[in-house]
Amino acid sequence: MSYAKLVDVTKCTACRACMVACKNWNDLPSDSQAYGGTYQSHTKCDGKTWNVLQMKEYETSSGGFEWLFRHQACMHCEEAACEKVCPESAISTTSLGNVVIDQEKCVGCSYCTQNCPFDVVELAEYVTEDGETVERAQKCTMCDGRIQAGLQPACADICGMDAIVFGKKEEMKKLAEARLNEVKDRYPNAQIYDPAGVDGTHTFYLLAEDPAVYDLPENPKVPVSAVVWKDYAQPMGKALLGVTTMAVMTGYITNKLFNKEGHAEEGGQTDETDKE
Amino acid sequence: MTNHWNDIQHSDCMMVIGANPAENHPISMKYVQKAKAKGAKLISVDPRFTRTSQMADYYSPLRSGTDIAFMGGLIHYAINNNKYHKEYVKHYTNATYLVSEDYEFNDGIFSGYDEESRSYDKNTWTFQRDDDGNILKDDEMEHPRSVFQLMKSHYDRYDIKTVSAMTGASEEDFTQVAEAFCSTGTPDKTGTIMYAMGTTQHTVGSQNVRSYAIIQLLLGNVGRPGGGVNAMRGECNVQGSTDFALLFHLMPGYIGAPTVSEKHKTLSAYNENETPASGFWSNKPKFLASLLKAYYGDNATKENNYLYDYFPKGRKNYSHISLFESMYEGDIKGLITWGQNPMVGGPNATMEKEAMKKLDWLVCLDLWETETASFWKEKAGQQPASINTEVFMLPACGPYEKEGSVSNSGRWMQYRWKALEPKHDSKSDAWFAHNLYRKLKELYSQETSEAAKPFNALAWEFGEGEYPDVDLICREINGYDLITGKTITNFTHLKDDGTTSCGNWIYSGFYPDAEPGEDNNLSKRRDDRDTGMENYLNWSFSWPVNRRNLYNRCSADPAGKPWSEAKEGIWWNGEAWTGHDVPDFGVTTDPAGEGGKNPFIMLPDGTGGLFATGPADGPFPEHYEPYESPIPNVFSSMELNPAVHIWKGAHNRRGKFADFPIVATTYRLTEHWQSGSMTRNLEWPSELMPHMFIEISEDLAKEKGINSKDKVKITSARGEIEALAMITKRFKPYKIRGKKIHHIGMPWHYGYEGIATGSIANYLTPHIGDANTMIPEYKAFLCDVRRVET
Repeated sequence: MSYAKLVDVTKCTACRACMVACKNWNDLPSDSQAYGGTYQSHTKCDGKTWNVLQMKEYETSSGGFEWLFRHQACMHCEEAACEKVCPESAISTTSLGNVVIDQEKCVGCSYCTQNCPFDVVELAEYVTEDGETVERAQKCTMCDGRIQAGLQPACADICGMDAIVFGKKEEMKKLAEARLNEVKDRYPNAQIYDPAGVDGTHTFYLLAEDPAVYDLPENPKVPVSAVVWKDYAQPMGKALLGVTTMAVMTGYITNKLFNKEGHAEEGGQTDETDKE
Repeated sequence: MTNHWNDIQHSDCMMVIGANPAENHPISMKYVQKAKAKGAKLISVDPRFTRTSQMADYYSPLRSGTDIAFMGGLIHYAINNNKYHKEYVKHYTNATYLVSEDYEFNDGIFSGYDEESRSYDKNTWTFQRDDDGNILKDDEMEHPRSVFQLMKSHYDRYDIKTVSAMTGASEEDFTQVAEAFCSTGTPDKTGTIMYAMGTTQHTVGSQNVRSYAIIQLLLGNVGRPGGGVNAMRGECNVQGSTDFALLFHLMPGYIGAPTVSEKHKTLSAYNENETPASGFWSNKPKFLASLLKAYYGDNATKENNYLYDYFPKGRKNYSHISLFESMYEGDIKGLITWGQNPMVGGPNATMEKEAMKKLDWLVCLDLWETETASFWKEKAGQQPASINTEVFMLPACGPYEKEGSVSNSGRWMQYRWKALEPKHDSKSDAWFAHNLYRKLKELYSQETSEAAKPFNALAWEFGEGEYPDVDLICREINGYDLITGKTITNFTHLKDDGTTSCGNWIYSGFYPDAEPGEDNNLSKRRDDRDTGMENYLNWSFSWPVNRRNLYNRCSADPAGKPWSEAKEGIWWNGEAWTGHDVPDFGVTTDPAGEGGKNPFIMLPDGTGGLFATGPADGPFPEHYEPYESPIPNVFSSMELNPAVHIWKGAHNRRGKFADFPIVATTYRLTEHWQSGSMTRNLEWPSELMPHMFIEISEDLAKEKGINSKDKVKITSARGEIEALAMITKRFKPYKIRGKKIHHIGMPWHYGYEGIATGSIANYLTPHIGDANTMIPEYKAFLCDVRRVET
């Protein structure tokens, strides 16, 4: 059964209880940032802060003013680029649809962080049981432990406004459609954001404005090379060359294919650059 | 609140003014959202566009300190556009009463003013009466001396153009708000006003609230589901502490505290002078006698006037500003700050810091070391060696480490159990009070001096344990029938013959009819089934007598039928009042009979006071400018509320517009709480709002050459602070009487202790208070801003 978290930004009051609840449940450290000139506390999601409440002052085309709020966290893509590019198969999708990182398998290679279409995965320092400090990819797990036990993710649980709700994807979609009708008068550009390029996401939105207004890619995609790598090259390679050799080659191939600065492939964040 | 949180969902229009619930009362927005889902409209009126404004259907800016101008405009609009609820106004308010011919209002001054004492003799603020003492009325409300006509002419000056020119709200924005809110003046609709400290922290704070009451009475919104005048309290138990005499001029249950005066010299003098002939307060002597029985136990008898003579009589005003002024003068030698942090929260904090230096001793009870507790340290800019105040810091435990009740804004007394043991040596407030009392009692026990007598006479029957027995405290609050030993049913059974005791009459009834040892504490109830109109009568206890909406007789028409089906409260079934709430009325008082249409039973004549004789500064709210104002008052030549006390001295400098041309206000953020002593010591809230900032408009930033994130200096006549610039579209320059006036705002949470530190905003604010309550004017003052060269 596929589950999803619906973020209805039109109900959000930006109280940021979701951010505190997330840190509390996931035992994440505080990470006070330099002053950014707005109410927003962190510029983006990273390894220490898995969800960030975006707060944007926006003048509409009709001259109106909106202070837009958006709870941003891992989107849990149905076709997850991070999972595709992970050379260690540390990233997987659970039966509920959330995407999780196995911290035991992660080697901190950062391919996932470079290929996330939404820029939410980041490396964070992590102290192993042996006391060794290593870097590992970190992001929202949709509170995997909680949802596997039949609970709500911490952010949905705490949200007093029901701006974050969690349930079966089908039901969440219906709810989003119904809400879309209700808010159309107040927000004529309101729309559901559940991008098809990644086959839909398990965190999806009812947005008040166009995705670009929220710095979301209009049509995010998994890079073709990532698909080629994960679905063809890696299984074949492992079969032919053995696991050890393949691991050595991993670095070479992925660096070539998924160089973040180059953005040679379509999809990923390239989509976003002209949407400011 | 006249109503309660859950009741907001029945509203058709919610006007938020002087408040920012999305940020400061986040969970209240859940009920706002429920109302909106049924088609209700939300209005936000605020000097800047807030998170609440974003949720609103209509937003109107308003220059800080001009609420009465704005509300006067609404009163004007409702009357002149025939939007008021005529039946309601005619029957349930004093609109029909004829006012004394001697009452006058001229150029901002009401009759009876004495300039020297800056106070009013209220003798002319009265009603005309016939020979039998009955108030003369004109049911058509057309008589020129009728309250309605006097009110109409009073607010004649508050036309849209003038209101817009003074408040800075555009005529379009104001009209939108007026249309939306005044649409609730029909029998089938109700509107609510939600307010907080943005309303009260002004030199006209009480009259701001009065102006809300007037518009709500005019629109027929008081005493009805989804209506009311609703104060959102800033702490989980500030309602409870106010009910229990937190304020210096009150005893528990809003019984006025006695003062050193002939009027209060003896118990009989007090009762004679403070008991009205009619209305529910005519029972005051019973409440007071029972309170004194609770204080002094068996030592209090009818013969010794229940030891009223032992009860301290106030000599002067002991409000916050007055206390610190006295401290500054050296009159006060010791101070206990108990969950309070005046170094951050007090007005003119620089001066208050100087005042604390004059103390012999200071005791601070808090969870963390506050700025007040460390006011003498180097980080507070002090030279510790030069300060002789001895400071004690006592560790208080957190809310989840103690047992007892808290009373929310809606007057719901909700019991809470202890979840955790207090950490280390930290103790609950009750422990401190209990042991402080016992120690003092022990110290006085061997003395027979006059000073020792009141102490030795006090009763403290809360057990012999290290902690007081909370259950015994609860029983004493509810009150006992001293003959049977059972707790009393409710305050209607209290007597002034010494056979009852009661710690707080308004709470009497929360622990009814219990034998010793029998638990019947209704504040522990957790039945979440809706008993009708979301009143949840079996959930906790709501004072008084579990009533959820005050004045609910108004929810029915004069004949006793609900005004509309969707707004049912209580109704007359032919024999008694019944319905979804505990009637705020004589249960068998026939609507057709004597007093059957007088819903405001606490008032002597039973009607809502459009014209009110209680306030110190006038029977109708009148706009005056804040203490520090950017522009002359257009409504009269009176600039400042003529009844406020003006403090003298070099530390009380008043800023002039020529030197300080920017209007400033202070406020709270979601992420921090009050003076920040709890939130700024926690990492997660701190990282969400780590820096002290000021919000300024793009326009002002350009004028001053300030860029986003620049360090700026803000100066007022009292002090100077540094902060970071937040340049925002949510603040716009105001156009006031044709002139561009800049307005800025800043949070007042920060200080030098804790994780998130920053400048103390209250270094800037003045020592000036409201004419009635002395609440400081934190919300409107003048300043200047400049960029700090780095």
